[in-house]
Amino acid sequence: MDDLSRFKQTYFDESAELLAVAEAGLLRLSPGDVDMDEVNAIFRAVHSIKGGGGAFGFSDLVAFSHEFETVMDEVRNSAIPVTTELVDTLIRANDVLAQMLAYAGEGVDAPPGATDDTVAALRHALAASGGGGTASAAPQTPPPATSAVNDDEDDEAGIFGDAMAAINAARDSEAPSPPPADRVRWTIVFRPKSDLLLSGNEPAYMLRALRRLGDAEIVCHLDDLPKLADLDAELLHLSWTITLTADAEVGRERIDDVFEFVADECDIQITADAPLPAVIAPPPKRDAPPNTPPALSESALVPPGATAAKTDGTAKPRGAGTNGGPGTNGGSGGGEHAGLTTHTIRVDLDKIDRLVNMVGEMVITQAMIAEHLRDVPPGQFQELQEGLEQLAQHTRELRESVMSIRAQPVSSVFSRMPRLVRECAALTGKEVQLATSGENTEVDKTVVENLVDPLTHMIRNSIDHGLESPDERERMGKPRAGTVHLSAQHRSGRIVIEVTDDGRGINRAKVLSKAIEKGLVQPGASMTDEEIDHLIFLPGFSTADQVSNLSGRGVGMDVVRRNISSLGGRIGVYSTPGEGSRFVLSLPLTLAVLDGMVISVGEERFVLPLTNIVESLRPKPADLHGLVNKCDVIMARGEYVRLVHLHRLFGIPKAIDDATKGLVVLVETEDGSRLGLVVDEVLGQQQVVIKSLESNFRRLDGVAAATILGDGRVALILDVAGLREMSRHSGDSASGGGRSPAPALPAPKSESRQRQTV
Amino acid sequence: MGMTLIKWNEEAGRVRLALPSDLDLPMAQPLLDSLRAAFAVSADVTVHADAVERVSAACVQALVVAARDSAARGALFAVAAPSESFADACDDLGLQGWLKQWSQA
Repeated sequence: MDDLSRFKQTYFDESAELLAVAEAGLLRLSPGDVDMDEVNAIFRAVHSIKGGGGAFGFSDLVAFSHEFETVMDEVRNSAIPVTTELVDTLIRANDVLAQMLAYAGEGVDAPPGATDDTVAALRHALAASGGGGTASAAPQTPPPATSAVNDDEDDEAGIFGDAMAAINAARDSEAPSPPPADRVRWTIVFRPKSDLLLSGNEPAYMLRALRRLGDAEIVCHLDDLPKLADLDAELLHLSWTITLTADAEVGRERIDDVFEFVADECDIQITADAPLPAVIAPPPKRDAPPNTPPALSESALVPPGATAAKTDGTAKPRGAGTNGGPGTNGGSGGGEHAGLTTHTIRVDLDKIDRLVNMVGEMVITQAMIAEHLRDVPPGQFQELQEGLEQLAQHTRELRESVMSIRAQPVSSVFSRMPRLVRECAALTGKEVQLATSGENTEVDKTVVENLVDPLTHMIRNSIDHGLESPDERERMGKPRAGTVHLSAQHRSGRIVIEVTDDGRGINRAKVLSKAIEKGLVQPGASMTDEEIDHLIFLPGFSTADQVSNLSGRGVGMDVVRRNISSLGGRIGVYSTPGEGSRFVLSLPLTLAVLDGMVISVGEERFVLPLTNIVESLRPKPADLHGLVNKCDVIMARGEYVRLVHLHRLFGIPKAIDDATKGLVVLVETEDGSRLGLVVDEVLGQQQVVIKSLESNFRRLDGVAAATILGDGRVALILDVAGLREMSRHSGDSASGGGRSPAPALPAPKSESRQRQTV
Repeated sequence: MGMTLIKWNEEAGRVRLALPSDLDLPMAQPLLDSLRAAFAVSADVTVHADAVERVSAACVQALVVAARDSAARGALFAVAAPSESFADACDDLGLQGWLKQWSQA
């Protein structure tokens, strides 16, 4: 049982990850903004949970996920419009699925009716769509869990490496051969659902497996094929009728085995045409109850026909016969198990996070002690000082080790890219080689997970806009195939990921004229090449003259930059005309600590993420300009920036109100707009451990999280974008109309906010 | 890492598509796109399957649909020099008759 429970545990762990994927996708799903990739990801997540659940015989779970999946399928086919109500229903369904998994995990049945409401809501959604385009997906009773696997057989499964293969192999090899007899002719009607291929199943292999069982005559039905214009490349519209003449010892279960993993993804009818010989005769061995109803609840699959029913009957005694096995196999399995688990263990993420948290506390305590000792006159308590130095060193190492537990190699993201490159190449008619390096570079799990979207987009961008067509490349003396190089490496405590192409480079004249046309740059502005290149990261910027298949998703490099910034990273581009472009991403290795600047306002301390800070300055009276309603702006580097007095925003007493007497920290939000924060003092840079404010207190506007400083004080980590929102709504420094941030005000000297926005 | 792609060759109004070695599921969309594009510019399309080593049902399906479509429109379509793997896959899928009808050596 140990081995089996290990597989089950893996299934539950993976299901939890899939649930999270589905939930994240659902939360992003909103009417009018449906990302089909997202929808597909949700569908596949639910589908995978269902598939695994079937293998373990969690029938309630399978039944429910089938309902869920059916609706997702219709969403995927755009047969159901995405409404807020639908999204709510789907999110609820995801929660219910999580509950069903929890019940299955505890080995208890779900309370009766636990899913009724949600199933009703899901069916209502289907009905509301008017049946949808693909009628076959209409609500139906789900096929029972493939079922072939009952608990006894699961025992067998454990000793092999992979649960699925093991279950299969066990069932294959354990079947004792009945006395040979006449050959049997089977008729198998195999009608896959259209999405069979998407779950990685290949009918050609199944049919080939059938052919191995005997003489097979396979007829492919082409009636349901759509027209060329209507065909969806990855949906299957073929079905088959197979006439299999096999030795009688090839039992029904061997045929079932072929379809075992697709049983709920297709309609299968299996009938035996010739009378069956003595197969029924062998009396059930051992303690198997003589008339055990077939555990293979095949009622849905078996067509009316007495002979078929009889073959069914034979299956069970054999299955029961194998029940003797577990004793012996279980023993050897245990030994193997011990050998297998030495190298890696799977640890609950919560445990690691708790550890990370504790180490964080320790770092803080250590910093506090160091702070106290700073007041001790030099030369005194020498040994204590040295000991503390060592403690600091060990603490740092401990923190790094703990953080590295959460680290994962970026290969999990890189490995998705070859397929993407291939698809993009095919779509654009370009020839592309993808080279990768540094796949084993490790970075925090959360960072890895959030890298997929930006990298996908950057690679698309490189192929679509960067690389020339093969003919054009040939004319320029380049190899016909362009190269996109994806690399990762650690550099000064951050991970640096580069996407380099050997294409045409950024067309600066075009970028500049586009920026002027869109009002992002004043005509006649003098800009360096680098500044022009960075214009592509501005919101709403796109150089594509025509919306191509690839970039038609309304996502620009600005979104990439925003995603990267939200991870505390930065992105830059370096381009040489005719030779190519290089996009450089730099990201923190973890999201648990943050490089911040500690500032003071009155008695309070705040931390500003270093990535938001542009510079700090002490303005002269002449730099400050009051606008209507007492809004203050500051002229900083040729541009008007709105001032935000933190003490007014947060109601902090005894703070400096006059910006010329304090300091202004110029910060930049992820979309490139700037604010000037009026603070008393900038105290210094510090790496701080991030503490969630939401889980410890509650969410506050303008605050991203909290931390504990070396002196033990709690300091809030400011959320610059949130501050901008707050200042817009509050009376303080609301600009004239209050509709847009200060940078929208044109500066007199034409050089507007494009300067170094990255 | 080399990419195996569908090669397009247009000559005297005829389009020849050379299939890559790997016709797996991810290739189905590119193949379908190529077939659509081919029939958009030509009424005489030949698909060369001599290099094919792995085939998914999705890609065979796309070819079957293309063949039916060409027949309905009176266009010419052929699968040239099918490799052994390709022929085996058609056998497995019960499409040996189809292949016989549409292939040319």
